[in-house]
Amino acid sequence: MLGLLIIFTLGVISIIIGKHYLAEQEKATAQVIEQQLAHIERNVHLHYDDLGLLLYYLKFSLINESSPLSGLSIGQRDVNPSVLSASILTLEGQKYDTDLVNPTQLLYGNLDLSFLLVYVFPLIIIAFSYNLRSEEEEMGTWRLVSLLANSTQVFLLKKLSVRVILLLSVMITLFLIATISLQIPWDTSFLLFVTASLLYLLFWFALSFWIVSFQRNSDFNAISLLSIWLALVVLLPATINTLITTQYPVPEALSTIIKQRDAYHQKWDTNKRATMDKFYASYPQFESYGYPTEEGFTWLWYYAMQHAGDAESREESASMRDKILQRETISRNWAYVVPSMHTQLLFNELAGTHLSNHIDFLEYVQEFHERTRLFFYPRIFSERNAHEIDWTQFQPETWNAARDIDWITILLPLVIAIVIFSGLATINHWKSS
Amino acid sequence: MHTGVSLLIAKHFWTSVFKSRSLYLLFGIVVLLLLYAAYSGLQYHKHNDSRTDHQELARKSWENNPDKHPHRMAHFGSFAFRLKHPLSIFDFGIESYTGNAVFLEAHKQNMVNFSEASFSTSLLRFGELSMAMVLQTLLPLIIFFLGYTSIASDREQGTLTIMLTQGASWKEILFGKSLGLLGIAILFTLPFLLITLALLITGGHATADTWMRFGLISITYLLFTCILCLTSIGVSASSQTSKHALTKLLGIWLLMVVLIPRTSQALGTYFHPSPNKLEFRSVVEEEVIQTGDSHNPNDPLFNALRDSVLAAHQVDSVTQLPFNYGGFVMGQGEKLSSQIYLKHHNWLLDQYRKQNQLTRLMALVNPYLAIKHVSMAISASDFESYVDFQQQAESYRYQLAQRMNELQMKYISTKKISGSEGKVHVVNRAEWKAFPDFHHHNLPLRFAIRNEALSLLSILLWTFLSIGALMHLSRKAKAI
Repeated sequence: MLGLLIIFTLGVISIIIGKHYLAEQEKATAQVIEQQLAHIERNVHLHYDDLGLLLYYLKFSLINESSPLSGLSIGQRDVNPSVLSASILTLEGQKYDTDLVNPTQLLYGNLDLSFLLVYVFPLIIIAFSYNLRSEEEEMGTWRLVSLLANSTQVFLLKKLSVRVILLLSVMITLFLIATISLQIPWDTSFLLFVTASLLYLLFWFALSFWIVSFQRNSDFNAISLLSIWLALVVLLPATINTLITTQYPVPEALSTIIKQRDAYHQKWDTNKRATMDKFYASYPQFESYGYPTEEGFTWLWYYAMQHAGDAESREESASMRDKILQRETISRNWAYVVPSMHTQLLFNELAGTHLSNHIDFLEYVQEFHERTRLFFYPRIFSERNAHEIDWTQFQPETWNAARDIDWITILLPLVIAIVIFSGLATINHWKSS
Repeated sequence: MHTGVSLLIAKHFWTSVFKSRSLYLLFGIVVLLLLYAAYSGLQYHKHNDSRTDHQELARKSWENNPDKHPHRMAHFGSFAFRLKHPLSIFDFGIESYTGNAVFLEAHKQNMVNFSEASFSTSLLRFGELSMAMVLQTLLPLIIFFLGYTSIASDREQGTLTIMLTQGASWKEILFGKSLGLLGIAILFTLPFLLITLALLITGGHATADTWMRFGLISITYLLFTCILCLTSIGVSASSQTSKHALTKLLGIWLLMVVLIPRTSQALGTYFHPSPNKLEFRSVVEEEVIQTGDSHNPNDPLFNALRDSVLAAHQVDSVTQLPFNYGGFVMGQGEKLSSQIYLKHHNWLLDQYRKQNQLTRLMALVNPYLAIKHVSMAISASDFESYVDFQQQAESYRYQLAQRMNELQMKYISTKKISGSEGKVHVVNRAEWKAFPDFHHHNLPLRFAIRNEALSLLSILLWTFLSIGALMHLSRKAKAI
């Protein structure tokens, strides 16, 4: 009972934290929208006669929308910012900016509902079921039970189902509170989130029932179950993560930023014509703007140099992206056989707070950057006045990840795990009776 | 109290534990984990090599710049890549969550980017397997498993009464069993310390300071082991049955390791909100604009500054000044904006410290948190070590920008006020080489000790407290 109370209290705290998180996100988004207009206005006022200089200062914000579910599973959104601002200068130097966040907070982790579901609910399940049978034996009531009940397994299952119902009702109550307070729509993602939670908890019940079916004493059950818990939620994920990070290090990250710096800056000292030739190779449509004289400064040349920073670090950048996606794929593959990992990754995927969501967002940022540059290039090169541009079209854009949800791959691993352990438990019971 | 009797009891406990097969199983698992953790700790060399290589690469292209305008160099900038401390093979601390690289240029305090966390899937959030982690999380469980039956099962089987009637005192029994348990527990702790020692020796980066740190780590972990042994004997002695003892000990472990740390940190963060990057940036930017924006040609502060400089030199145009005015203005602007930035950044750090405060205070009641804090701080992988890196990088950035401004004032024609392109208004490239590269110095050990004084105190307190509690118990305990 104490366990139920603790988990319920923690659940409510986690929902409050989730609500707080969503409110912060919303506040940030609102601020970005408001600030962008003011920022553009201020700079247009200062530099209206020099569009090249104006675009040197202007930053455009992009928002990776947070779904309400992200309040339940914050995932990677605490490190990877949901809002990114970029100017039309070299993007590689801008797009990897992390958010400002207390690293100690990251170390201890977020107390969101997904943490409770993955970590704490299993502990309560263990506490509820480790002495399911041994308790009767140790109190001396087991003989009576085996005489009175038709089947001891049915008796134990009945006892277990009371616990299942109790715990699931706590879980469902928490979800109900969450839907109301975080305004989560009852869509496919949410239903899957709940279904996966339900299956994950049933998996732990099946596992506990299997350990109980060995008919050992309470101490043995408690120690084995806790060891399994430790292996599933601490040791295995940590081991696999270490394996992945050592197998797929990302030195490209450091190479990319050095490369983009050097590629851009060295153009200040090299032949302008060579820089322009490279730029026109990428964008032949601007060739008519010709070649600036070798002495002196022009924006045409400046933006061609900036573009070189991106163009010449593209290889490193792509290889960095591939490495990161590879990490995601490998984690995913391992997770199919480790239910705790599978559930946690799944929660983040459903909430859009996983790693590849951010990578996709960066892809979108790159696309936006290209589009915006191509809009401004001809206007800068032909020295247009800032007042000729309709600046109201530059509201911060919001990006929404496209989701394709595959029920089978999502739920099947958990269903299989449940079937295996309840099967093993049944076999043990048969053997003993 | 006869030490002889205590030793006898200790020896008896020791042999009885060695009879059980589960000890060898446990030991085997721990050794495997230790080897794996040591292996992943050794990645430290790869990390540092790669960062040193990149630091050199970046430096080489800095030095290879031809003669050019110093302001171009101020924007060419430099990088600071964070190196790990040799002891991070033992304790990773918050290193995976902190950035590793920062681009240092004029006018702009860039983010320290590329933390391991930003490249990782959510698996990282399950925790990392370091040697320190195994000692902090698993060792308590192992000691509890080995110790929960120690006295409770003697009580259940009636052997406790026999021992007492044969003349052994409670004190002798309690401390004897504790000694026995400690002997076994140290068998688990010691390999970690020895492997760390071996890796430090073979790694070749250890200095006298490293050995001091290692010594301190060894002492605190041994004290932590003592606390755990005394606790599990105490709980076992005050429980009716071993089942009760086990339940209590497991409850303590869950509270200490899983529930308290995350909850207290989450609450700390909830009650002391900190701004996100955009908010923070815009507050700083706002204040710079309000105070004086050297990039704004009509800024009142800088206009007034210009007028006073002109008056002081009794000239009527900046081109007549004895130095390059552009360099001078940027120097003043840099000074002003850096001060404003630092003020806000220090406020932000204090906000983070407030967020961590609850968890730090909890170290007084939770020895797990105490050892975690001490271990991170001494391994130079804690929050304050990171802050120190950030500050060193920022101060290097400031010096770099100001040096370039000085060069501009000194060598660039007073007629060339704006613009930095071309090959006419340039400074000799020997100046680039003359400006030293960034080198990070670890926070000295005495600062680490001072920062974690509370946690160190907590470990000492807990050691005395658990001895005291056992003494108290020996007077009050009952055999049945």
